Amino acid sequence: MSGNDTPETETDGGTGIVPPDDETPTWSERKERTQGLSRLTYEYFERARREDQDLRQESSYVERDVLGFPAWPHEMIRNLALTSFFVGMIVFLSATLPPEMMPPANSSSTPAVILPDWYLYWSFGLLKLGPLNPELALLGGQKLMADRTYGVLANLVIVGAITIVPFLNKGAARRPVEQPFWASVGVFGVIFAFTIAVLSVKNLVPMGSHLLFDLTFLLPFVGGFISYAILKSMREGYMFTLNRRYYRLRPPK
Amino acid sequence: MADEFAKGLGILTSAGLAWMVLAGWYTTKSFEEGQLLAPPPTNPDVYGSVGLFLKDALFWFAILGALTFWVVIPLLDQAREALAERGS
Repeated sequence: MSGNDTPETETDGGTGIVPPDDETPTWSERKERTQGLSRLTYEYFERARREDQDLRQESSYVERDVLGFPAWPHEMIRNLALTSFFVGMIVFLSATLPPEMMPPANSSSTPAVILPDWYLYWSFGLLKLGPLNPELALLGGQKLMADRTYGVLANLVIVGAITIVPFLNKGAARRPVEQPFWASVGVFGVIFAFTIAVLSVKNLVPMGSHLLFDLTFLLPFVGGFISYAILKSMREGYMFTLNRRYYRLRPPK
Repeated sequence: MADEFAKGLGILTSAGLAWMVLAGWYTTKSFEEGQLLAPPPTNPDVYGSVGLFLKDALFWFAILGALTFWVVIPLLDQAREALAERGS
């Protein structure tokens, strides 16, 4: 800065955008800066870093190696802003769209449709796998276990399969294209979670029951194969770009 | 780019929120089924007709505003860049 006799450590990278307190720009001066959000972010972090450094240089301040921003005001202002937004949203919605007051539940009558909450539909759908329960010739066409036992076992199998996935693949890939097989396993799982949830409400779906049952198990495979094919064919181009960037950064000797 | 996305998202969410409230007031028979999309009331009063007009206006503003900032303006920018590259 000009006109300053005391040599001051340059902390702003020579840009001069961290003003001393008596030179803080007015709002109109701030608005004239048109570089936008990136500039503002840079100024904010630079200012915060400067304040942090000033604090460090005070004698009472314990020098620490951890880089960070003080909880007050930086973190607290952000947290208060987020909290105010969500509280305001709740107040706004409860004032403008109050929920309908339904008649009280009648505990002496069974409702027509009994369903768990939507996020448990997949488990409810797994209870309806009766057609998959094999009739064993060894037992003279009898089933080994009741359909409902079979459904509960299917739940155990599915939950067990989800449990062992992290042990089979630790998720080192940052993008699906890096590991097409595991990405397509993920697509399979997502589609199967959806179709098995639809199966659980099959009486509400305008589709033949058998067709729906077949689609429940076919669609995940179709989606998995398609995503595998797409990702596998994308990988060559991805690796090419990656290598080109790498060799641009470190040209071969 | 990021600014354009934020503008489109802001338009979509805020106009969509206002549309949702107005639709909840004027075109909701019941929250059990068909909420927000019920047919509008016949012979609304002045406030009602203003609200119904605002509801439709905000609905289209949400969609067209977001599309403008996410599709149209980036398209124009890219077309301008391509033209400038071809010209140089």
